[in-house]
Amino acid sequence: MLMLEGIRAGYGDTEVLHGIDLVAEERVTTAIIGASGSGKSTLLRVIMGFLRPTAGKLIIDGQDVAHVSEHEFAKHRQKMGLVFQESALFDSLTVAENVGFFPYYRQKKPWGKVLPMVREMLEMLDLPGIENKYPSELSGGMRRRVALGRTLIYKPKILLYDEPTTGLDPTMIGHVDEIIREMNEKFQVTSILVSHDLESVLDVAEHVFLVQDGIAQDVGEPWHLLTSKDERVVTFTKNWREHVEMYRRLMHSEPGSANGTPKGETL
Amino acid sequence: MGYVLGVFDFLGAVVVYVARTFAYLFTGRLNLRLTTRQMEFLGVNTIPLAVLVLSFVGATICYLLAEELGKRGAAGYTGGFLLVAMLREFIPVLTGVVMAGKAGAAITSEIGSMKISSQIDALRALSTDPHWFLTAPRVIALLIMLPVVGAFAGVVGYYAGYAMVHSKIGLSYASFSSQVSTFATAGDFYTCLIKCLIFGVVIAAVGCYMGYRVKGGAAGVGREVTNSVVVSIVMIFGLDLVLLPLNHWLKEII
Repeated sequence: MLMLEGIRAGYGDTEVLHGIDLVAEERVTTAIIGASGSGKSTLLRVIMGFLRPTAGKLIIDGQDVAHVSEHEFAKHRQKMGLVFQESALFDSLTVAENVGFFPYYRQKKPWGKVLPMVREMLEMLDLPGIENKYPSELSGGMRRRVALGRTLIYKPKILLYDEPTTGLDPTMIGHVDEIIREMNEKFQVTSILVSHDLESVLDVAEHVFLVQDGIAQDVGEPWHLLTSKDERVVTFTKNWREHVEMYRRLMHSEPGSANGTPKGETL
Repeated sequence: MGYVLGVFDFLGAVVVYVARTFAYLFTGRLNLRLTTRQMEFLGVNTIPLAVLVLSFVGATICYLLAEELGKRGAAGYTGGFLLVAMLREFIPVLTGVVMAGKAGAAITSEIGSMKISSQIDALRALSTDPHWFLTAPRVIALLIMLPVVGAFAGVVGYYAGYAMVHSKIGLSYASFSSQVSTFATAGDFYTCLIKCLIFGVVIAAVGCYMGYRVKGGAAGVGREVTNSVVVSIVMIFGLDLVLLPLNHWLKEII
């Protein structure tokens, strides 16, 4: 379980997080949503230990690691995996070297043992036969999956996704969502999804927090995003709710729908 | 005040990078695969350029020496003079300058690009110290390769000098190299080696420092690459001045 209590953090004199309280239950997919500049990415940096909080507690597996040394934090970091927004694959390494990075460089396993693990992982991610390609030769979706493979190969207990569907086409978004669900079922990980793609959140998350102005608000289950009367939630989801409503009307061809497409016809 | 603090921050970081690199080296944690890759990328690929530069310099110096010494009937000293100048100054300094322009810039641009594309954060997310993965292999690669590149370039530069003298005044190789042993000493060779080692470490450490401090996208990378080359070259010339007594000390010791 991951728990944040009263976390305050920022850059220089500017405080970005003003006392975040958040709980990510074990084996549950928790989504952190919020507008750009709300502090989501800063929160992720704090959880990963890239940015140390000025106050508060960061509890991983029952231990407060907010203020431990970098060396000590590195041990806890091995329990976590982060899938970056832009994949952050190592350009100078092949796909196989990227995916096998942790077992080879960190766990010092011989390459002969790492390669079958890499092939198995790539097979699982539906990416067979690309071991010797470089990241620059892959599409955005493939890069995203390779980045996921690089993280999953060491079986972290907590998996963090930073905007995993940003910039992907609808088919690929569906595929990434499916992978996230699959990974959660297969590896029984605690997942934290940072996103502003609300459809994706609705699809994969089990619990939602809304971050606004450096404060986290517990929204509850994802469907509350559509029904909550809370002013902050309504403000953030207003446009999206209107879109959802419009699609619903279109699909069911209710009176007053946008174009009055007859029920049963393809839009 | 900010400038002074910046200088101390820079010098402190360079010292820390070098110290951590040697800590990895002496505790056996240096990754040889990464280091040899960098030796090839940063060192071997720089040999043609360094050879070209030292050839031009060797030929130019010999042209001037042959002209002046020839007038005084001392053309036979040309080879000796050239070798001493090459060992004490041209090989370490000019190879260092070439290395700063090519390898130093490459280090800064690669690390800088990795920083702005979150690859440095990705390393940390994978519980890997960026200094182990990036800094140490580059520092050790340049520590080894600057003397190697310098040796190649120096040998070719020496013979380029001979070719110039031969074509200008028809001096034979036997005459050209006749006074070499009276001019050049073991101390000159060690001076060359020590300077190359120091300059190699400095170029790599400066390149890494500038790479890690990249901010603001592609423009930031370009800015720090320029800074890396400029600072490295200034440090090479500055250290060369500081190391002037080195040759004297070595001759006393040896």
